[in-house]
Amino acid sequence: MASFLVLLKKELKYQVRTYRLLTMVAVFFIFGLATPLLFHYLPELMPESEIQIQLPQFTTTDVVNEYLDTVGQIGMIATILVAMSAVARERELGTAAMTLSKPVGSGAFIAAKLASLALVFIAGIIIGALGCYLYTMVLYGDLKPENFFTANLVIGLYLLFCLAFTVMCSSFFKSQLAAGGLALVCLISLTVSSGLPIIKDYSPGALMAWSREIASGAGSNHWGVLIVSLVLIALTVPAGWQVFKRKEL
Amino acid sequence: MKTISCQGLTKHYGKVIGLDNLDLDIEEGTIFGFLGPNGAGKTTTLKMLTGLSRPTSGRAWVAGEEITLYSLSLKNKIGYLPEEPAFYNWMTGREYLTFVGELFRLPTNEIRTRCDELLEMVDLTQAESRRVGGYSRGMRQRLGIAQALMNKPRVLFLDEPSSALDPIGRLEILKTITRLKTQATTVFLSSHILADVERVCDVVGIIDEGRLIVESEIDDLREHFALSLFELEFEENAFPFIKILEGLPWVEKVVLEEDEDTSKFTIRASDMTRGKRELPKLIAESGLTLRQYQLVMPTLEEVFIELLGKKEE
Repeated sequence: MASFLVLLKKELKYQVRTYRLLTMVAVFFIFGLATPLLFHYLPELMPESEIQIQLPQFTTTDVVNEYLDTVGQIGMIATILVAMSAVARERELGTAAMTLSKPVGSGAFIAAKLASLALVFIAGIIIGALGCYLYTMVLYGDLKPENFFTANLVIGLYLLFCLAFTVMCSSFFKSQLAAGGLALVCLISLTVSSGLPIIKDYSPGALMAWSREIASGAGSNHWGVLIVSLVLIALTVPAGWQVFKRKEL
Repeated sequence: MKTISCQGLTKHYGKVIGLDNLDLDIEEGTIFGFLGPNGAGKTTTLKMLTGLSRPTSGRAWVAGEEITLYSLSLKNKIGYLPEEPAFYNWMTGREYLTFVGELFRLPTNEIRTRCDELLEMVDLTQAESRRVGGYSRGMRQRLGIAQALMNKPRVLFLDEPSSALDPIGRLEILKTITRLKTQATTVFLSSHILADVERVCDVVGIIDEGRLIVESEIDDLREHFALSLFELEFEENAFPFIKILEGLPWVEKVVLEEDEDTSKFTIRASDMTRGKRELPKLIAESGLTLRQYQLVMPTLEEVFIELLGKKEE
């Protein structure tokens, strides 16, 4: 535990010093602000022409759904880009060998990576959600906070799954591209297949659809998806650790 | 007491043999020089002994711990400097040492004191607040040595520690290594800079193509590979004495200096043991005034070349 905390402190410093934390928070904040602003001012932004384009009257639900989709899709790509190098890059550069020649367990090494990245994304999601909530309230009103923030919790869980899965892939390979490639293929397959019968009741890919349901207030409970997602997240660290600890540096 | 012990340590990379059946015992407090050409298996051995690589077969013990991949108890007792130390470039030199101290769970005060001592020792005090990413190769190497010493290890593994250093830097590092001997630290020094090994090591092992060719104390090794030459110099003309020597059964040849000066010459012996026993007595009986008597010893480099040359033949 002690070495985990030392490594976590180091990882968090890295996220701050290299502006990764700031960048991630800024990206989510921009999503949060931009979505309600864009929907509200889109009719005014459309250039006047002879062809009249009839825009629908956007509702709070449209704004929130769009925000959740953006966070889910762009967030997934962001988790892969940020996490694919987490372990693989350290092995490639030799810094993992330097650190692991000290009394540090490889499990703590991987867990600290995941924990720090999770904190960065949680910070991003919180800031993004606050931005979106405030602007939607100002521009549209009528947004139930409990539904909105629960939906963000669910989308956050989806991104946490993407993150944990990518960190696991990163501990399998010495090449970050190989890690990122595997994570991308698997996560896209998971998302695409999440509409299929039975799979939609248990796949973490179904979390995005569930978050939209919750936000619109029509959410039914998808406990199967929730439990499977939590179990898979919990399994990624030991799985990555089991593979990593067999690898030589 | 043996601090490092290997029994049949072997490492295969597919069909390639990285290390072949290494048997080695190193006593506590020894500075052991591990020599060999590039690709001989030095780094492979070091990685296995530091628990960063798994042996294909065989066993090894370091500071009483049997080596296993990522053994935590082993790592508390060792320090390790890889051939090309890699750091977190965004950290400063002091931050990196503090991070290492924290990994060893040293108390905060001790980490601070140790950082001061080590930065001073490797002459990085002035650069302690600079990011490691801006360090020169020599500075990184010195920081690497400092981090390897953070926990006052019982066994220190150094892979080519002086290869990136300038002559003064090298001298400082060699002095540091020599000082460790007084603290009963065992040093396992892998290098191909033979002059450095000769300067600081007590015992050397020479490895080639994964096999240990020889393990010996440096003096014994030099004596074993002595060139069978005596160099003699007298105050006066020694021609009659040379004639006597040429008649002795253990003398193969007497070689004069280029200017045919008979006061200074070299004896090539066919039986070195007999020569060492008889020659001083003969000199005393000759009545000549001896200016110089020297058994010509090979340098470690000459032994190294001789050994590897023989192997190739």
